[in-house]
Amino acid sequence: MRKILMTSAALLLSVAANAGTIEMKVNGLVCAFCAQGIEKTLKGYPATADVVVSLENRLVAVATKEGQDIPDAELRKALTDAGYTVKSIDRTQTPIAEIREQVRKKSK
Amino acid sequence: MSRRPFGALGALALLAAVPCAESKPIAYAKGTTFMAEYGAGTMNEVQLFYAPRYFYSAGVGHLTLQSDIDGRTRDISYARFNYLAKRWNGESAQGNLFFWGGAGGAHASGAGDVFAWNAGAQADYETRRVYASLKTDFHQSSAFSHRIDTLQLGIAPYEHDYDSIATWFVVQGRRYTGEIHDGTEWAFLIRLFKGNAWVEAGATTDGNIQAMLMFNF
Repeated sequence: MRKILMTSAALLLSVAANAGTIEMKVNGLVCAFCAQGIEKTLKGYPATADVVVSLENRLVAVATKEGQDIPDAELRKALTDAGYTVKSIDRTQTPIAEIREQVRKKSK
Repeated sequence: MSRRPFGALGALALLAAVPCAESKPIAYAKGTTFMAEYGAGTMNEVQLFYAPRYFYSAGVGHLTLQSDIDGRTRDISYARFNYLAKRWNGESAQGNLFFWGGAGGAHASGAGDVFAWNAGAQADYETRRVYASLKTDFHQSSAFSHRIDTLQLGIAPYEHDYDSIATWFVVQGRRYTGEIHDGTEWAFLIRLFKGNAWVEAGATTDGNIQAMLMFNF
């Protein structure tokens, strides 16, 4: 029992430490020229490792550095302050490289 | 140039390069936008704006007009404040309503140096396939008064994404008041943008070149 509890705790800790990817659905993303502001703002966060923006998927994905995170309220504020409307924020374990590849395939 | 009122503003704007209009006067928060337009030999305009927030920007501009009715010129240098009064963010569309106003100095043929003020508005709507923009820009001084109204309708042959080149075919109709140009000036343009650069070029139905450059940084 003790072993199971310790394994579960270790698993939970590893998920928390490896914050993964934050995927946001955003309204108003129609022009790459103007959406640059989103990328610029999100890359400015110390916790940000990488950013992917897709107009086709209305998606803004942020990969966070290991053990770091950006609170939802801060993300929502960043996108609202950039002039866009956030519809949802989800945390996933999908690697940002995979998202970038999916986006690239869809836009071809 | 130095004898003209507010000449420093014009010089500052011209330092940025050549002869703006259309597109948006605010790109994004903490972003600087440089725009230059060559308007078929009738107008040249250059603008440099910085936006502390996504809904307002401030900067300088210089507008040169040459009447194709009587050949008279107007050189207007101004400082301007732009305000995004309303933005509609749809799932796959965006609409904007901008207002602006400013003041500066002007030099007009036969009238010398005068104080001039300006005001304008722009409404636009875009998806990744269609674009429509209606803009009006009014300039007033003791020596002249004119308004430039510009309508742009654009269609994209494909839906661009963030990392691909956007291509637009645009029809532009422009009317000048104040004895600058008679009738509506129609132009057909191709617009390309990727990353932080935007280029638009084409010709009017009279065969004059119409072009615009814009950079965000």
